[in-house]
Amino acid sequence: MHRLKLISGHLCPGGSAELNRDLQRAECGSAAAASGRDSPDDVVVVHGRRTAIGRAKRGALKDTTPDELLSAVMTAVLTDVGLSPDRLGDVCVGNVLQPGAGALMARVAHFLSGFPESVPVYTVNRQCSSGLQALLNLADGHSVCCRVESMSLQSIGNPGDLTSRLSDVEKARDCLIPMGITSENVAERFGVSREKQDAFALSSQQKAARAQSLGRFDQEIVPVTTRFVDADGKQLQVTVGRDEGVRPGTTLEGLAKLRPAFTPDGSTTAGNSSQVSDGAAALLVGRRSVVEALGLPVLGVLRASAVVGVPPDVMGIGPAIAIPAALEKAGLTVADIDVFEINEAFASQAVYCVEKLGIPMEKVNPNGGAIALGHPLGCTGARQVVTLLNELRRRGRRAFGVVSMCIGTGMGAAAVFEYPGP
Amino acid sequence: MAKVFRSPARHGYAVEVSPFIPNRVACAASQYYGIAGCGTLLVLDETETGVALVRSWEWSDGLFDVAWSEANEHVLVAGGGDGSLQLWDTNNHSAPLRVAKEHTQEVYAVDWSQTRGENLIVSGSWDQTAKVWDPALSRSLTTLRGHEGVIYSTIWSPHIPGCFASASGDGTLRVWDVKSAVCRLAIPAHKAEILSCDWCKYDQNIVVTGSVDCTVCVWDLRNIRQPVNQMLGHAYAIRRVKFSPFSKTVLASCSYDFTVRFWDLSRNQPLLDTVEHHSEFVCGLDFNLHIPNQVVDCSWDETVKIYTPACLSAATHKREKSWSKSSAWS
Repeated sequence: MHRLKLISGHLCPGGSAELNRDLQRAECGSAAAASGRDSPDDVVVVHGRRTAIGRAKRGALKDTTPDELLSAVMTAVLTDVGLSPDRLGDVCVGNVLQPGAGALMARVAHFLSGFPESVPVYTVNRQCSSGLQALLNLADGHSVCCRVESMSLQSIGNPGDLTSRLSDVEKARDCLIPMGITSENVAERFGVSREKQDAFALSSQQKAARAQSLGRFDQEIVPVTTRFVDADGKQLQVTVGRDEGVRPGTTLEGLAKLRPAFTPDGSTTAGNSSQVSDGAAALLVGRRSVVEALGLPVLGVLRASAVVGVPPDVMGIGPAIAIPAALEKAGLTVADIDVFEINEAFASQAVYCVEKLGIPMEKVNPNGGAIALGHPLGCTGARQVVTLLNELRRRGRRAFGVVSMCIGTGMGAAAVFEYPGP
Repeated sequence: MAKVFRSPARHGYAVEVSPFIPNRVACAASQYYGIAGCGTLLVLDETETGVALVRSWEWSDGLFDVAWSEANEHVLVAGGGDGSLQLWDTNNHSAPLRVAKEHTQEVYAVDWSQTRGENLIVSGSWDQTAKVWDPALSRSLTTLRGHEGVIYSTIWSPHIPGCFASASGDGTLRVWDVKSAVCRLAIPAHKAEILSCDWCKYDQNIVVTGSVDCTVCVWDLRNIRQPVNQMLGHAYAIRRVKFSPFSKTVLASCSYDFTVRFWDLSRNQPLLDTVEHHSEFVCGLDFNLHIPNQVVDCSWDETVKIYTPACLSAATHKREKSWSKSSAWS
């Protein structure tokens, strides 16, 4: 409410550094976040791991079936915390391209990991946000939510059985617009220039390269040993432990030379779009009361989430709507958030959202984003949560972070997490 | 010992002592701390034993400021959260004499001019404008724009006709000339919001501001680069400041820190006393013009208190000639 906000503003001024404000400032901080107090019903993240993200069709994971990837991360997460799988309440897997969102595949992965039959599993598909959606779907007790995608083995090809009538309904028709065209729509409609997109893409590559060289992902990546068929048809065994998409040598000149990928005079290129990738991630989540009863640590707390709908032909603007919605639910503002993990489906939409919300660039994807790392559709949401919480933990103090992505067919999702402090 | 009036479920935002009746006080109060709900205008009389309710009126939105007429002892004006100004008459029990709705957001300040030869009302609103009205509130005579933030306070100069000061969320103290409808001075007085201002009754160049940065600053309008005095002590934002009508150097401030503080600028350590008789934000404050050293305040703790702080009576500085309505100002 406007009046309440104004008066609250009197109690938490920006400027005054003199006077003994330390105690009051901390007080104001928790008053500003409606979710300042911990409750046993809080949804908390205990731990997360992910595979390296491989380049689809050509990368080291191109011949790996998704159940293998899924199994690797699920096993790793539980082993790390020493939790026996029979303590799990449910498993939810996010996936986009497998038939039936991979419901059968998920159960197979489940058993590959040695989970008991008594633990159920289901899958969820909200396109690019499937990973995040799996976390939001959390049931009571303990759950593992994971996401996986193999874009090598399944392509975005078959839209399923649709009525011919959809061509009469504009927004229904718009659902079939290729993602690259929606990127062009956003770039054109909101005036995001090719230069800005390339600059953003370069920044993503540089941040990812730096993070990789500093070993920032070492803790979260589960190395996967798998089979790989090389160009001569020979089968090899490889161990994949490093994100393949990162190109440390990227330059603005190099990006500027790339031809538009979707329309002849467009601005979206392969260099400023997310990569098509394979990967999986898993998070162990639960209600605080259950987590604490099991003696497990709390890595992060889900404070609020929001899923919103936007026009399918500019689906990339999703985060610009979803993030304010989630922040409002959490009683926070952009200024309260330390790190934003905004999926870089395309530089056009990522730049639009960041500028629209007035987010300082240094808060956005500090360890790089999908343009450099890749975007395995169903996996991305969980990958972002893992990377976000690890980054907040690395910074070593209580902080809030946001994970957000746009969603093909016109949606946006965002979730606000709190790292409670060391 | 303070005399207390309790207004259950109504949280006081402003008080003003009547210029005509020495024991009469008006209080603008709101339901639910002014965040939602309605408002009540209270007219109270101090009696030998306590404080009696003379008249009260309800308004459909919160009331945030009140000012007595300087021409008619029965009339007062109040500013409301719905952007309206209402003219009330203690002879008329039920409805306002007039309602003027021009501001598009909350009216947080109303003041009635005191200089001879003019009878004007000024209002300050969260819509960032100040408006000047004739005493019948028929329509605004001028609208003054310039502030880049909500206006919290608009106060007529007691010396200079057609001149008022305003305090705003944009951190500036502005002095306006009504006849030419311009802002004569814009002083970036604080880096935080300024919630209140007031003129010295004895020196036409001196203005005091109270801010969210917890300081009370005194300004000389002839040299605005830095304040003449800066008083620290309040622990939270200052809600209202008022210069004493009886002394050139004495002023009072009330704050979200639940206290009212009295200051004397002529001393090395200006803080005279801290009065801690409220249990919630203290929003309203006024000196009694007729009774030296008597002070009225109101707070979100649902009370209006009338008292004579010892620090004022005990002050040893030479008293200025008491200010009264009979002296010519202009």
